[in-house]
Amino acid sequence: MTILLKVEDLSRSFGGLIVASNISLALESGDRAALIGPNGAGKTTFINLVTGSLAPSSGRIELAGKDITRAASVERVRLGLVRSFQVSRVFREMAVRDHVALAILQREGKSGRMFGDPWKIAAVASEAPAILEELGLAVVAHEPVSQIAYGQQRLLELAIALVLRPKVLLLDEPAAGVPRGEARRIEQALARLPSDIAVLMIEHDIDLVFRFARRVIVLAAGRIICEGPPAAVAADPHVREVYLGSYANGSRSV
Amino acid sequence: MTSASIADSVKEKKTTALSSDLIGTLAIAVLGGAAYVVFPDDLGLLTRILAAAFFVLSLCLVTGICGIATLGHAVMYGAGAYAAGYFCVQGLTDPIALIVVGAMAGAVMGAVSGAIILRTSGLPQLVLSIALVQLMHAAANKASSITGGSDGLIGISPAPVLGLFAFDFYGRTAYLFGLVLLVCVFAVLQRLVRSPFGLLCRGIMQDRVRVAAMGVSVYPVLIRMYTISGAVAGIGGALIAIATGVVGLDSVSFAWSAEALVMLVLGGASSLYGALIGTVVFMTFEHFVSAASPFHWLAIVGALLIAVVLFLPKGLQSFPARFLVKLRGGRRDHSS
Ligand SMILES: Nc1ncnc2c1ncn2[C@@H]1O[C@H](COP(=O)(O)OP(=O)(O)OP(=O)(O)O)[C@@H](O)[C@H]1O
Ligand SMILES: [Mg+2]
Repeated sequence: MTILLKVEDLSRSFGGLIVASNISLALESGDRAALIGPNGAGKTTFINLVTGSLAPSSGRIELAGKDITRAASVERVRLGLVRSFQVSRVFREMAVRDHVALAILQREGKSGRMFGDPWKIAAVASEAPAILEELGLAVVAHEPVSQIAYGQQRLLELAIALVLRPKVLLLDEPAAGVPRGEARRIEQALARLPSDIAVLMIEHDIDLVFRFARRVIVLAAGRIICEGPPAAVAADPHVREVYLGSYANGSRSV
Repeated sequence: MTSASIADSVKEKKTTALSSDLIGTLAIAVLGGAAYVVFPDDLGLLTRILAAAFFVLSLCLVTGICGIATLGHAVMYGAGAYAAGYFCVQGLTDPIALIVVGAMAGAVMGAVSGAIILRTSGLPQLVLSIALVQLMHAAANKASSITGGSDGLIGISPAPVLGLFAFDFYGRTAYLFGLVLLVCVFAVLQRLVRSPFGLLCRGIMQDRVRVAAMGVSVYPVLIRMYTISGAVAGIGGALIAIATGVVGLDSVSFAWSAEALVMLVLGGASSLYGALIGTVVFMTFEHFVSAASPFHWLAIVGALLIAVVLFLPKGLQSFPARFLVKLRGGRRDHSS
């Protein structure tokens, strides 16, 4: 298996607060991994560091064998490293369908075209309706985001990430805030992703993690404290302790 | 619904964009033509409205579509006016060539000033834009051998349009020339706003971080829009130089920039129609009320602006739009 994303000794702190402490992690082609950990563990910060929206104080990041530690964040996206946001970042006054159209246009290198209807471009016309239908968003395709439910905004967030056709997909709690019925759609969409891409999902819903992930990574206080198949991680007494809240300072290691 | 019909409903527009664009452009041509017939004695004012319309449309592109804060937009308008005026005095008298010169000068000024102010955003951006227009104002004043300084650049007498239609004392040719230009430019801008690039710019205005997470470098996109905006403002400047025969320092002033912003907000910042409506209302008011009483003029504009901002946040253009929606009994098409 080829390694798509390789992170070595990534560290970062805010003032005195250590939010990433020598994190090393590799995602292979076909990986379905989950990153879990208590609130404030540094999970979102890890995504921010990897995607370049935050600069690490030390460490090294490789994408498909290429050193991207200093690459601009938009460059990383173009190389296939795509993220979703924990709190949906969507355009309030833009129709749902136009979000997806814009992402497809950007992927195709056609977002700078100054003439013509976006919906006349073949990739948009064929892909956008399909993904919107798959995620149950076709009924609100013409609505602006300000008029749709929060759960639907979460699904739109995912739709944008999916149409960018990532090599490595980092999902920050994709199902948080999504009603049960619609959360199923997320799982189905994830199940249909190309098998060769690597997916890392942050998620608090342990049932979802168990169904999705073949590998679970546990982060606490900026440190990886446990890593392995879901069942093994769930049985780990130290992980249980962390989730019960008695974990205080991260000084212990597994 | 079958999946094929769902796909179709996603793709189709509520109203076909092309036909509504066409109707809008035609309406401008018809209204402009009607104004020519009904107010033959006010062609001077009407031509100034046309020039201002280019200016406010240009501001709409950067402020209404991209969300850039600027109070110095007149640098581009002034660049177009002085360039056209200067070339005409130097002997390039063909009006169409002068419009092209104005557009190019505006575009260059747009690219240069954009490269500076687009590095920042929000308040620093606003302050930088003001600094730039003050600087250019001072420069235009100083370079009196080219610009005529505070006396203005005079002696601009363009040749007949296409060698056929001479600029007359009543301003008929100037007005019709400007109207044809405006209709053409408006039609082009409508297409631009609906294009993938227009969509991208609206995305940038609403959330830059989201757009960047799609892999878009925001800065070059904004520079491009700023350059286009500069060309449009430059056309307005060139038109006023051709129509009035003089270019004054007020064409590159902070006050003129601020007035454009007022006109834009009045009409509705995010819509090209709003830019036109705001311009017509403001300029007409200014002409008639300020002549009668300068004090009342400012008070009325202030009151009008407060009323619009509080009760019609999308500007005067949302007035007819709401009315149309009621008429059709349908929803608004938010994507346009
Ligand atoms: N830009 C920032 N400046 C200062 N502190 C920050 C910043 N971003 C995150 N933090 C802090 O870093 C810690 C880790 O935050 P992070 O968002 O990564 O946690 P998380 O694991 O994603 O938690 P949650 O499950 O609640 O989303 C928190 O204490 C947070 O307050
Ligand atoms: Mg988080």
